[in-house]
Amino acid sequence: MLEYVIAKYNYWVYVILMMIGLYAMMGKRNLVKKLIGMNIFQTSIILFYVSIGVKKGGATVPILEGHGHGGHQAVDVATILNPLPHVLMLTAIVVSIATTGVALAALILIYRRYGTLEEDEIIAARRAAAAPKAKDQAS
Amino acid sequence: MIWQLDIVLLVFIVICAVAAITVRDLLSAVIILGAYSFFMCLLWTEMGAVDVAFTEASVGAGIGTVLFIAAIARTARRSKD
Amino acid sequence: MKIMPLKMVAFAAVVLTGALLLYGVEDMPAWGDPQSPANTHVSPRYIENAIPDTATPNIVTAVLADYRGYDTLGETTVIFTAGIACLYILRRPRNQRRKERD
Repeated sequence: MLEYVIAKYNYWVYVILMMIGLYAMMGKRNLVKKLIGMNIFQTSIILFYVSIGVKKGGATVPILEGHGHGGHQAVDVATILNPLPHVLMLTAIVVSIATTGVALAALILIYRRYGTLEEDEIIAARRAAAAPKAKDQAS
Repeated sequence: MIWQLDIVLLVFIVICAVAAITVRDLLSAVIILGAYSFFMCLLWTEMGAVDVAFTEASVGAGIGTVLFIAAIARTARRSKD
Repeated sequence: MKIMPLKMVAFAAVVLTGALLLYGVEDMPAWGDPQSPANTHVSPRYIENAIPDTATPNIVTAVLADYRGYDTLGETTVIFTAGIACLYILRRPRNQRRKERD
């Protein structure tokens, strides 16, 4: 039982982080809060991928010290971490910050037009703008 | 791999994530998100992913926080939930 | 407070997704297992051939800029597109600027 917990508790924390981010995206009404949730979601996925490349038992960072300049001795694969997830997640981090930047620009545009960042107020304003005559008759 | 450090960092990360989505002041939420990114960077360093760690420290915690603060300075700071 | 039921639906959906993922964790290899499929399938080739192929001690940089150089080029295109999109979203049209001045 303890062995099972030790082997899996990291994955449980990643799932919890993903749930926090997903709840912020679905349940929160403020648009900035939704963006923060999206960031947490992306970081949890990146964390999961990076953790796939971990090798327990004395593996070091993927930098080959003392192998350069013609020293072509063979490398022991078990002593070097898996570099592929690191490379792919570098790309993912940079793309995620680009997404966040475009989303924040869109947020500024929304605030200029509606004067608020709350989702329900924006929906109410849009409904009021779509049916102005019905509102006049009601009041 | 130091498992004590691993557990402490994971607990801090979850606390920061929960705090970032519950705080009502958006500026505080963004600062907590920056702290979350730095804890994430420490966790990656501890896992041995040094390149990912310093990219996250500069891009995620640095530029991301700056972009969020710039957007909040132009819009509202208060949030209802 | 009419939206509160919607929040409950969101919470239920999140818990359902998390439960499914926790169920899926059962089939993952143990955390940090050196014999897991991801660590034994492709990556040994990169680790062994990085120095003979590219003469770069840092394997991550070698893969990022050499083996997968076109991937990085595409990433740069994404960043460029995002910057242009930000400029066009945040730009104010000229007639609107004149209207604000009056």
